[in-house]
Amino acid sequence: MATNAMGESMAAPAAAAPPEIHSDTTVKWFVLGAVGYFFVVGIIALIIAAKFVWPSFLGTIPYFTYGRMRPLHVNGMLFGWLLAADIGLAYYIVPRLCGVKLWSEKLGVATSILWNIIIVSAIFSLLGGYQKGLEYADLPTPVAVLVVIAWVMFGINIFATIARRKYNQMYVSTWYLMGTILWTAFVYLTGNFATLLPGVTGVNQANLTWMYTHNAVGLIFTPAGLAIAYYFIPRASNTPLYSHKLSMIGFWSLAFVYVWTGAHHMLHGPISQWLQTIAIVFSVMLLIPVWAVVYNFIATMKGQWHQLNDNVSLKFLMSGTIFYLLTCFQGPMHSLRSVNAIVSKTDWIPGHAHMAVLGTFSFITMAGVYYVIPRVFNTTLHSESIANWSFWLFMIGGLGMFTSLWLGGFWQGWQWNNPSIPFIDTVVALKPVWMVRFLSGILIFSGIVLFLYNILSTAIAGGQAKAELARS
Amino acid sequence: MLHKTDSNAILFVGAALGLFFIGGLLTTVAPPLIDKSWNKPFENHDPSKGPTGKLVEYTDQEMRGYKIYIREGCKYCHTQQTRTLASDVARSGWKGVPSPVSTPDEFVYDYRQTFGTKRTGPDLSRIGGKYNKEWHRAHFRNPRDLVPGSIMPPFPWIAENPQELDDLVAYLQTRGRAKDWRPDNDYEK
Repeated sequence: MATNAMGESMAAPAAAAPPEIHSDTTVKWFVLGAVGYFFVVGIIALIIAAKFVWPSFLGTIPYFTYGRMRPLHVNGMLFGWLLAADIGLAYYIVPRLCGVKLWSEKLGVATSILWNIIIVSAIFSLLGGYQKGLEYADLPTPVAVLVVIAWVMFGINIFATIARRKYNQMYVSTWYLMGTILWTAFVYLTGNFATLLPGVTGVNQANLTWMYTHNAVGLIFTPAGLAIAYYFIPRASNTPLYSHKLSMIGFWSLAFVYVWTGAHHMLHGPISQWLQTIAIVFSVMLLIPVWAVVYNFIATMKGQWHQLNDNVSLKFLMSGTIFYLLTCFQGPMHSLRSVNAIVSKTDWIPGHAHMAVLGTFSFITMAGVYYVIPRVFNTTLHSESIANWSFWLFMIGGLGMFTSLWLGGFWQGWQWNNPSIPFIDTVVALKPVWMVRFLSGILIFSGIVLFLYNILSTAIAGGQAKAELARS
Repeated sequence: MLHKTDSNAILFVGAALGLFFIGGLLTTVAPPLIDKSWNKPFENHDPSKGPTGKLVEYTDQEMRGYKIYIREGCKYCHTQQTRTLASDVARSGWKGVPSPVSTPDEFVYDYRQTFGTKRTGPDLSRIGGKYNKEWHRAHFRNPRDLVPGSIMPPFPWIAENPQELDDLVAYLQTRGRAKDWRPDNDYEK
């Protein structure tokens, strides 16, 4: 039991190998690239939020029409920022948990270069209208093939590192990252390639798409994000994880339950009723893995909450945990037919989705980036105060966006259910909500700018110090 | 048993994929084998069994329009499903006649599913035949000329391209037309 790198009892803080054995080149490439795309795609996000308020804004230029910018926003945030940052953090976490160097830094850097080629091609092809036509799997097939190649390169590197690990027992973050790599491979192939098989059309294709879309969140971003949280909550608070057994319950119930729920995206729609019912039952069961994980995190913090005062990473991690609890309470509730009849297809849904991707997983990932970047550049964070400002901008902007969309979406669904209200009146009614969402977006984007500035300044300062050291 | 996966990576991989594939296969491969309506085009000639009609394959022109619909990302704002909700049936209806609900057999020829997840604009599953080409041309040029308060973007590059406009309108006129649900057959061309 006492043999994994987190020590499980941190009293003997992991017979950790000296930190200088890790060169962390791949971590730097992936994380800095991701932070850059967070900024670039943040601009796209602001533009599409503005289009809801001023619908003709940039509207007469085909490349900047809403229908082309929205998939760029979704794919850019998911793959350019969040997944790239998660991959970068995995390259940091796994070698440390295994007590060995990354199997191949060269392969890691090559993977990062390929990832940049993917994101840049995605930007041009999506704005050009070259897209597959499947939500979340919008990237054209040649680009999707590159994603698969990059994923295999990432998987080989991580699994080869794990195979040579010094500690026999694997910490929970290692399981979640292995799970992410394995499940993503099949989930991605289903959404991007199985959907294109001859004869796969209509509802059949939609069912495969929802299996992918749902599990892109549930079996890619959830396990990757939880791996990061399981690593950095004990690290940032210098406290051992509350329960190993609870983490096992959380992991294995996630592995079993998540994949069944795709059809809850088409409740009341043209898809078999019995499949809808299966999806509902398993959606409610999702409460098990979520509550197991959240209880573990909260219990770890017992007696340590005072650390939140001056530890920005912990602020992001624990707010992310609370958002995770909330977003994963909403999810099962949306899957109930009665609730779904009100909120489905309304603006409530982007409110929910942003609490998952921004409030939960981006918060957790930013905590990891704030923790890792000073360490891999062998320096200290440029400014704790700017980091704190970025947290509050994200928090206030995020809450403004989530709550305005929930209230607006609920109201919208209520109006839709009264057919005597003309549809256009339900559009006009939401205009104040979209204005609040745009203003919240400005706050969030300001948070991104401060985050980018702080991280880049830290990296530059670290690089300069290293150069001076080399000269002397 | 799962305790052993802690230190045995091969056992871990087996368990993680095994649990995943139970649900994965049962919810993706099995359903179309069980529910034949997913792959069998709609056809009904017996009015006692609900609306009559037949789903036909897209013409070349309609298919070109379908691709424009995909290219411009129309599905990010428009769903194409009349759900089993009273309000959906009423809203998809026309001139006081409620529309039939959407069924899987109406979508068998859809090479890209367009059910959608967000209804920023109205549902289009029964839009076919409601408006004529001149209405669509004016609407694509500037939606607010016809529907004050609309937030749909303008699409001048379609409105001013006769070929693309014809193709896209031809596609839109197919939506929901497999089922004959207008009592007077008063569909616009």
